[in-house]
Amino acid sequence: MSGIWVVLEEREGRIGRISWEAVVAGQKLAALTGLAANAVVIGAQTEALAAEVAAKAVGKVVRVEHPLLAAYTADGFTLALQQFIEKESPSYVVFPHTYQVRDYAPALAARLGQVLIGDVTAIGEGPVFTRQLMQGRLNGSYRHLGDGPCLISVQAGAFRAEELAAAAAGAAEVTVFSPSIEPARIRTKPSERFRGAAQTVDLTAAQMIVGVGRGIKDADKLPLVQELATALGAELGASRPICDNGWLPMERQIGSSGQTISPKLYIALGISGAIQHLVGIKGSQCVVAINKDPDAPIFEAADYGIVGDLADLVPALTEAVKAAAQQ
Amino acid sequence: MLLLTATLAEPQHFSVAEKLLLVVLVAASAGGFWLRFRVVLNKILRSKKDASFHLFPIGKRVWDFVWEVAFQAKVIRQRPLPGLAHAFVFWGFCAFVLVTLNHFASGFGAGFLDPAGPFGRFYYGFAAVFALACAVGILGLFIRRFVVRPKWLGKELSYQSGFIAFLIFLLMVTYLAAFFVSDADPATRVLWWVHTLALLTFLPIIPHTKHLHLVLSPATVFLSRGGFSRIPPLDGDDDFGLIAGTDLTRLVSLQAYSCVECGRCTEHCPAANTGKLLNPKEVILGLRGYLNDLGPKSEEPLLGKYTPPQVPFQCTTCGACEFQCPVGIEHLPILIGLRRGAVNTGAWEDDHGAKLFLALERGANAHGLPTSERDKFIRRAGLPIFDGTQEYCLWLGCMGGYDPKGREIIADFARVMNYLGASFGVLREEKCCGDPVRRLGNDFVFQQLAEANLKALAQDKVKRVVSICPHCVRTLQEDWKDYGTPPPVEHHSEFLARFADKLPKRSNRRVELSLNEPQPLAANSLARYPREAGANSPHLSKSQPQPPLSTGNEDKIVFHDPCYLGRYRNVYKQPRTVVKLSGELVEAPRNHERSFCCGAGGGLVFLGDETGERIGKVRAAELVATGASVIGTACPFCNSIFRDALAEQGEGAPQLLDIAQLTARGLPVSGAS
Amino acid sequence: MKIIVAIKQVPERDAQVRIDAAAKWIEESGLQHALNESDAYALEEALQLKEKNGGEVVVLIAGPERVGPTIREALAKGADRAIHIDCADLGKLDALGVARLLAAAIKPESPDLVLTGLQSDDLGQGQTGVILAELLGLPHSSLILHVEKTDAGLTVKRELEEGWFQTIELPAPAVLTIQSGGNKLRYATLMGIKRARSKPVLQVAEAELAIDAAPVVVLERVALPQKQKSTQILSGTPKDAAAALVEKLKFEARVL
Repeated sequence: MSGIWVVLEEREGRIGRISWEAVVAGQKLAALTGLAANAVVIGAQTEALAAEVAAKAVGKVVRVEHPLLAAYTADGFTLALQQFIEKESPSYVVFPHTYQVRDYAPALAARLGQVLIGDVTAIGEGPVFTRQLMQGRLNGSYRHLGDGPCLISVQAGAFRAEELAAAAAGAAEVTVFSPSIEPARIRTKPSERFRGAAQTVDLTAAQMIVGVGRGIKDADKLPLVQELATALGAELGASRPICDNGWLPMERQIGSSGQTISPKLYIALGISGAIQHLVGIKGSQCVVAINKDPDAPIFEAADYGIVGDLADLVPALTEAVKAAAQQ
Repeated sequence: MLLLTATLAEPQHFSVAEKLLLVVLVAASAGGFWLRFRVVLNKILRSKKDASFHLFPIGKRVWDFVWEVAFQAKVIRQRPLPGLAHAFVFWGFCAFVLVTLNHFASGFGAGFLDPAGPFGRFYYGFAAVFALACAVGILGLFIRRFVVRPKWLGKELSYQSGFIAFLIFLLMVTYLAAFFVSDADPATRVLWWVHTLALLTFLPIIPHTKHLHLVLSPATVFLSRGGFSRIPPLDGDDDFGLIAGTDLTRLVSLQAYSCVECGRCTEHCPAANTGKLLNPKEVILGLRGYLNDLGPKSEEPLLGKYTPPQVPFQCTTCGACEFQCPVGIEHLPILIGLRRGAVNTGAWEDDHGAKLFLALERGANAHGLPTSERDKFIRRAGLPIFDGTQEYCLWLGCMGGYDPKGREIIADFARVMNYLGASFGVLREEKCCGDPVRRLGNDFVFQQLAEANLKALAQDKVKRVVSICPHCVRTLQEDWKDYGTPPPVEHHSEFLARFADKLPKRSNRRVELSLNEPQPLAANSLARYPREAGANSPHLSKSQPQPPLSTGNEDKIVFHDPCYLGRYRNVYKQPRTVVKLSGELVEAPRNHERSFCCGAGGGLVFLGDETGERIGKVRAAELVATGASVIGTACPFCNSIFRDALAEQGEGAPQLLDIAQLTARGLPVSGAS
Repeated sequence: MKIIVAIKQVPERDAQVRIDAAAKWIEESGLQHALNESDAYALEEALQLKEKNGGEVVVLIAGPERVGPTIREALAKGADRAIHIDCADLGKLDALGVARLLAAAIKPESPDLVLTGLQSDDLGQGQTGVILAELLGLPHSSLILHVEKTDAGLTVKRELEEGWFQTIELPAPAVLTIQSGGNKLRYATLMGIKRARSKPVLQVAEAELAIDAAPVVVLERVALPQKQKSTQILSGTPKDAAAALVEKLKFEARVL
């Protein structure tokens, strides 16, 4: 059994942040088990990627390369990694929990007679893997049984990419592994990715939304709010009175008679929290409320709140967000 | 003076030719009447039987008949001047029964009421008074229709109505003129024949026009469903509501043919008044048109050509239409029946509607919020849980349990109940009463909710329920009866009115307070309920700072009658008793049974945006225009609608307070008894 | 087109989470159950495909007796028949075990398409569909929002991270896992419920399917997370409060 292999994923030609977090998770596992943590990159042209990885403090780096791996397909990646794992016989294979990994790692595990422990948020003595159940209301401790490799994927943000140091003395060793893949085995044909159709506004799909309410008092404060939204890469939404006043179009209305949203992050600015609005935002993962009135019902629905004047807080928040993005 | 001594003149002798002619004309007229009336009767009788119609108890039916038909009470009360005119026409017709019978009998030489005899002199004179009133009445109505042209009578002029009015006028005039001639005068014969022809022309026209109501409406009023907005239970496994002609029952068909096209329903309809397509009169006439063209055995959909499919879904079920109808048409079961047909089959596609149904299919409340939110509120407000020992079960409802304003109302009402020493508890778990789905016609979800709730109430041994929401009150007390036996339910206005003498009058509050009690208004709100230690949550019930009271300077409070408390439950006095404890009562222009809906009912508050003007905005403007400093509500939905409407007004808007809040603000600061 | 939709009955989304006595799972007594949310979207997609292309929709569910109402709900919404694998305790199986059970029931049906929801509301692993594909030897794709039948097979719209999408073409038969929100769900109607009564439900005993049920991964213990959902109010100057908020959003909530 040859230790721990962390499979890194490419994002727009570079290694994505979540993959670095997976490496950190792999290293934590290494510390717990005494095994070595190494890295795998996979694709058709992985030289640059591998060099990026080798510059960090990982063990070995293997490039799993094949022309048919140029575009991601579940069949291609599963086959390639199956062959790699059968060769290396790792004890652990660590993935970042991305949409791509969710698409192939369970099949890969099943092919090996294993089960992926997915979306892990913590690794403890044992090793015992923690993952969330009941939509985050419960934590479960999982253990792997038997001899085969244990496959896990780690949740974004569960481990801190900053903890990954640069390579101590020179780059890590890089080798190439060429799986054998017949074209007929790749059954799916993916297209180029594309953005959603240019609809007017679809808040229902937005991952980040900034909502503005009557607390904003004047339409001339809207540009401040728009700046914050832009800094966050968020869509702009509003409570009913704002749309009724015509400050924002009706399609941006969030609430029981407008759109129902379920973003990762919703920031409610100057919104009191009437039930019609609360109903529209209850699917949000994280709610931040900023309001001058400490008694506003919105605070009860929020995870984080700041009581204060929007005129001061919105620009301050915009600055803070911009600063964080640069880190 | 002439009239008192004059007698009715009639031709003493009719020739054989005349008699023959009379026979032919009467036969033709009666035949013409029957030809068409038979068709209408057939359409009604061939309609599906009403499975849940009960003739008994018959007392109310007789009373309604006497009051509404004989006395024309609704006709007059709701539209006084035209109503009185119509009443005269109607009473004229009634008075003329014997006159008419004798008129024809005498044509055959068998007259039985001698105008010169003592009874005859009295009776014909008596009828003459009515004839005059009738003539004046019909003239007035003619002028109203053709000169004044109120919009509720429709855009197009009805020449048919004009002709009938002319015939009626002619009948009366020919009758009255006969007092001014003698038997032998040739003019008498002319008058007699004109009168006869007018009658015989009128008769066959009746079943072809809205004047069919002359024959049908007494039956329609008598054969009502037995209650306001009585939604009939579905009849067997294949009944899903009003989908096609085969679903129209005899009552519905009878009502459709009784429509007199007066437009009173539409005149008071909040949807029709704010630019929506819905026009209750047109819905009924649409059914009549369907029956005329296709009949009660047709499988063609009712919604489509005769009534646009979106029309029934614009109805707030406020009941103004059904309440106003002078001929006994029950619009609500019809509109809800049409909704049932569309919803129970899945034909109705509406994003918000589907969301509401899905939320109630799986969860416990209409907002789709987790029930833990209700639990949190109960804990924070320190509300006791019902354990079978308390006298009252305080039903929170979807607004009282989840809406911030509804919660304030509950907190204040709980405070009042504590002050009065009434023992109460809230249910550990409550599902939505089902009002929105009941009114939208989703019988599947409604049954689930009603049965689950009835089971819970029985298990918890609930004896009496009090609720702050008229929709809950109505649904629990009446609609749940389809699935079990609910305990007695009352609205909090009824509860508060019962204890009115124990509640302090606010204008006296200053006197009470001056007796060494601490003043700060913040303390007032803190005292409302015990706060959970460590919770950084905001206050749940927030009274606005009270303006300083000077003697005689009471708040002017305009009370808005909720549809489901007023028209549905006939409760008007009790909330006013409560309001008067807190300030000076002011009435809105449209009040009591004329109250104008806030627009939330019928499930509409859970659906998307309205077309046209917003109903709630219109009503809010009306309430604000009274100049009152406070708008008093007794329904959390009305409160929520007005809250939005007033928000656009900004700082100058009147306060918006539920009667529970009005009562609570008058309690001494120490609160709990 | 014969479509099999594998569904799961899960505790209601807003159910109160209490740990059971053995601390191995949540207390089930008094829990309400419902159809898993993304499975409802899978069912909706299947029904729309049937409406467009003809064929039949079969729902497949593994679970104890209490899944009955969920089966009826699926039939009421328009599925033609159901297969119920009677399994008293799904918890003793890992994802591979559950998939083996389902695959054994699916194989004899030879469907044109197998749909599952993306993930379950209780365990949230999101693996059953993908493993099923592997076991059945069928091509698959996940996070699907829209499915269309073509002459060559299927064209599907797949969701990617950060607002990107992708079209994938694959041959039928195939397995797809359906993401929530792609369609508008239909509501259960009285008519549907009444019709459902006469639709066939095939009961299959777990033992009949004779699968290898020994788990390779076990859920040892459950615990409540330390941080309860309460509102954290951040104070200080606007600059400080804003900075504190961004810190929390990045590392505590992990949404930035």
